[in-house]
Order: sequence, then structure tokens, then C-alpha cells
Amino acid sequence: MEADRGWNGKKLWLMLVMPLWLTGCAVGSLFQPYPSQAQSWVHPAPGRDAAIVQHLERAGKGRDGVLYLQELGLLQQRLGNDAASRTVFADVINHYEHTDAQALIRVTGLASQTGALLINDNALPYRAPDYERIFTHSYQALNYWAAGDVTGTAVELRRAAQAQRLAEQRREGELAEVDEDAASLDLSQYQGYFEGLDAAAGAVKSSFQNAWTFYLSALFWEAHGEYNDALVDYKKALELHPRADWLKADVQRVSRALDGHREQGTGTVAVLYEQGEVPARQEVSLPIPTPHGLFLVAFPSYSVMSRSAPRPLTFEIGGQTAQTRVLADVGALAARNLREQAPAMLIRQVLRATGKYNLQKKANDDFGSAGAFLTQLFNLISEQADRRSWLGLPAYAQAGRVTVPVGEQQVLLSGPGGDASVTVPVAERGLTLIHVTERAGRLVARVLPVQEGPL
Amino acid sequence: MRIVMAMMLGVVLLASGCASKVEYGDPQARETVTPDFGSSDLQMIAAKMVDDMMVFPPVVELTRDRRPVLFVDRVKNKTSEHVDTESITDTIQSRLINSGKFRFVDMTVVDRVRQQLEYQQDSGMVDQSTAAQMGRQIGAEFMLYGNLSSIVKRDNSTKDVYYKFTLKLLNIQSGIIEWSGEKEIRKTRSRSLFGL
Repeated sequence: MEADRGWNGKKLWLMLVMPLWLTGCAVGSLFQPYPSQAQSWVHPAPGRDAAIVQHLERAGKGRDGVLYLQELGLLQQRLGNDAASRTVFADVINHYEHTDAQALIRVTGLASQTGALLINDNALPYRAPDYERIFTHSYQALNYWAAGDVTGTAVELRRAAQAQRLAEQRREGELAEVDEDAASLDLSQYQGYFEGLDAAAGAVKSSFQNAWTFYLSALFWEAHGEYNDALVDYKKALELHPRADWLKADVQRVSRALDGHREQGTGTVAVLYEQGEVPARQEVSLPIPTPHGLFLVAFPSYSVMSRSAPRPLTFEIGGQTAQTRVLADVGALAARNLREQAPAMLIRQVLRATGKYNLQKKANDDFGSAGAFLTQLFNLISEQADRRSWLGLPAYAQAGRVTVPVGEQQVLLSGPGGDASVTVPVAERGLTLIHVTERAGRLVARVLPVQEGPL
Repeated sequence: MRIVMAMMLGVVLLASGCASKVEYGDPQARETVTPDFGSSDLQMIAAKMVDDMMVFPPVVELTRDRRPVLFVDRVKNKTSEHVDTESITDTIQSRLINSGKFRFVDMTVVDRVRQQLEYQQDSGMVDQSTAAQMGRQIGAEFMLYGNLSSIVKRDNSTKDVYYKFTLKLLNIQSGIIEWSGEKEIRKTRSRSLFGL
């Protein structure tokens, strides 16, 4: 009896330790929620930049590496280290390629799946959702743009368009599969949860389509006289914002240019504005029914409350005043992405709840209150919602453009984060891009090299 | 004791299996690591372009009695990959020069050549009887230029990339395209079902 008890004790320890081992003793977000880690780079303390970069570089080697590298690439870009940002984003893109090329069923993948079934979804290696991939390509395009590499910019913009196309195809296939899986699960009992998430995701039609990226590439193609490509991208942006009259004006202008009507003596000044911070996933408690009764589990969600209204940036140039407008509502993209994953996550959660309940019951039967206490503690600590997402992204990606006479022009930018003034060159039928971000509540504006002439 | 020996053997095998090693390979060997643009594609393109051009009757006629002077403009990268197209044109240029039928001027070094000429002419350091003279360079008669474009299609398990390389030879004076060559490459990658 004693020997049997000893063996059982070993089994219990094994059951508690095994999942940790399976996940490679992953540190990362397994027990510390990602949003609290991300505070250090989303709201950096002054003078800590170098330390944060080092931390992200180290974290970039782990199993959630791609997530930390995305953060690092964007941070480096905002710090003005374009070359470093370019290297990091190139690694990120390689990582995407690598994950896409991996075998469909992998031994290591199965190990982390098992780990995730026993601990929580954070044990699954981070897989960047499509909307993050599309942002990566856009930021990488801006890196090439800033370095004056026109061909490189064009390549990245094509890749961004490709990523959007691929996401669309993938979605058509996958959504049908998920619906089939979810059919076995009665979703009506989680209606409250889904309604909240649906409300947060309500502002966008899909979880990845990004009119900001389409607009950026349309501007680029137009400046290089590739009116056909520009027209396609303006139209795609218009499709996502059908009521935007200013996008209709863009479509009309480029259509006229295709017919040979091109304006003389003027150029374009465009402002890209990344406003606010994308909301982080929140943890909600969701009662999951198991054969032994309800089991309260942690589940990620977004709430409408955490969303702030967009604030435009006003820019004055050559006597004209214009405003940036929202092209991508990143918070809504993130919420819709989670909404799409939720049925599959629920299925995993039901399995996990049952498993954890059984573990607790077994410990109670074999070891009495001490065993039950240990497993309860384990269940409590391990019950963490998967709150990982790229938190360096803005809440709203906005843009605006004006046509102004050729020559040096003074631009006055004013937004919620204060004012900024820059002098920009304007070339005939060229494009001058001002990239505005917010850092520590202040506006940071940089002027990118003018795009003009054939590619 | 036996167990200890077996374990030691296992550790040794494991350690040697993990050691990274460096090997020389055949640069002409088919490279199929990824479906991205790679060395084999570059070699295939260069070989096809040069072969095509050298057997084209008007070009054969043109090079029968003289070695025309060419310059390489550039090959536009219209793909969704960061391809070094200069490397492709370099290989084509080398092969054409080595055929003994063509001569080339290099537009990428014009500034440095000018610097050297100015040094030889103006610095007072060079014996003027040996100094290269300004205004004696030979003008190019033809220009080589082209495009590399790609179409990428993929789904969950397959990636298909189609590359098309186009090269043209233009007579600078008449504006006539004397020759044009095209090379198509298709590469497909399928994801395996099982793996590590």
C-alpha cells in the first residue's frame, strides 16, 4: 500500500511537472501575463531604451520569439534606428516564412499542444495573426523607404498585398472548418461572452484587411507613375471604407491620371499617423461545463470600454488645413481576430477544464487534502488566459493627403499629443511622406525621402 | 556497468550528432532549400540568356567582324523578394565578355573613373606621356536592360512561384530592340504532413 502510494506520488509530481517540461519550461507568458511584461516598452521609463532593447533581443530567442521581435522591430523604428529595425523585421518575416513551411503535424507542435492542454494556451508557441503580419510588412516598407531604397520598398509593399490576399484565401477555408468544430459545442451558453467580443470587433468587417497599408502602397505607386497599381489599392481601401468621399476623390484622380490627365506644378504631401495604443486582451472568467459541474476558467477578451475614440491629427500646409482619418482600427482588428479563434479556444478550454478537474479529484482521492491543495494551487496559478498580442501597434492607423505647389513647404501638425512643425520638400507629381507617431504622449514626426519618377 | 557504458555511448553519439560542420559544395549543384530566388535560378537565367543571344541570327551577323560595345542598364526587380538583380546582370555580362564577341563599358564606376582621370591630368603627380586622356572613351552602341517579375500563389499546403526574366538589347542610336530573351522558372513547395 505504501509502495503504491509512493508510485502514485511520483505520478502526481510527474503530472504537475510534465506540462512544464513539455513546454520547454517556457518562461515568457506562461505565468506572467504578456500585457504586464509589455508595459516596459509600451510605456518606457526615461533612459531605459537600451535595457529594453536588450531584454527584447533575449526574449526574441524564446518560443514566443516572433512576438518579442515584432515589438523590437517597431521599437527600433520609433527610436530612429531604421537599420536595426530592418534587420529585426527581416528576421520576423523569415520566421513567418519558416512557420508557413513547417510540416502540418509536428512532433514538437504536439508536445506544446499537450502542454497547452494541461497548463494554458500560453504554452502554445506564438503564431502571429494575419493583421500583425501585414503591419510588419508595412513597417518594413517604411524602413526601406527611409533608407531611400525604392526597390526594397516596392518589394515590401507587394509582400504586404500578398499577405492580405493570402489571409483572405486562408480565411475562406479555415472559417468553414472552425464552424464545423464549433458545431459540436453549444455556443449559446457563452452568448454573453461572444456579444461583448462582437461589440469590440464590430467596427471592422474582417480580422486582417488593412486599408492603411493599401493606402500607403497606393500613394507610393501613384508617386512613381504606376497608376494602375495605385488605382487597385485605392479601390481596395475604398471597399473597406465605402462611405469615405476623400477615398473616392483619390480613385477619381488616379483614374484621370490613367487617361493622361496629370496635374502640373504640384506634388503630394501625405501624413501617416499612428495614434494611441492598441488595447490589450483582458482576462474574463468563463464558466465551462464539465461532466462534474461548472468549472471557472480564465478566457481572453476585449471590451468596448477599453476602446478610446480616434483622435485626428490636423495639418496645415500652404494655406490648406486637412485632417488625418482612420484607415485601420487596430483594436477592432485584434478583437475580430480573437473572435475568430474563440470557438477553437473554447474546445481546448473544455478539454483542459475536464483534465484539471480530474487531476484535482485524483489528488484528493489519493492524498487527501494536501494533494488537493497542491493541485488546486497548480490549477489556480496555471489558469491564465492567453493575452499575447502585439502591443506596440497603434490603436488607430490614420492617414491624410493634400496637393500643394512645388517647392519647400512648412507643415504644422497639431494633434492630441501636442504640436510639431516640419519643413518638407515638394516635387512635381512626387510624394512627400510625413510619418507621425506618438512616444511618451508626444508627437514624433519624421519626413521620409521624396518619391518621384518611374520605378 | 553495462548500462553506464551504453549511456556514455549514447551521450557521445548525441554530442557528435549535434556538432555543426562546414562542407564545400558544388556551386553548380541544384539548390532547392526554399522556393525563393536562388543560385540555380540565377545560373539558369544567365545561361539561357547568353545562349539565346549568341545564336540569334542578326546578333551572329553583328558580331561576325567586330565586337560591339554594350552597357548594362539594369534589371528591374518587380518580384516580392529582395533579389540582387545586379548579380544576374553581372553573370550575363561575364559570360558575354568571355564569349569574345562583345565588349562592355561599366556605368557603375563612371565617378571613380572620372576621379582617376582628373588625378592623372591635374594632380601633377603623373607623367603626362603615360596619363590617360579625357574624352577618349568609346561610346556604347547597345544597351542591355530587363525585368524580373514573379507571380506567387499559395494555399495552406503549397507555394507556387513563377518567375519571368526578360532581357532586351536596344540599339541606342536607332532605338530599335535588336534582341529580346525570356526565361521562365516555376517552383513549387509542398508542406510535408509530418515533421519535427
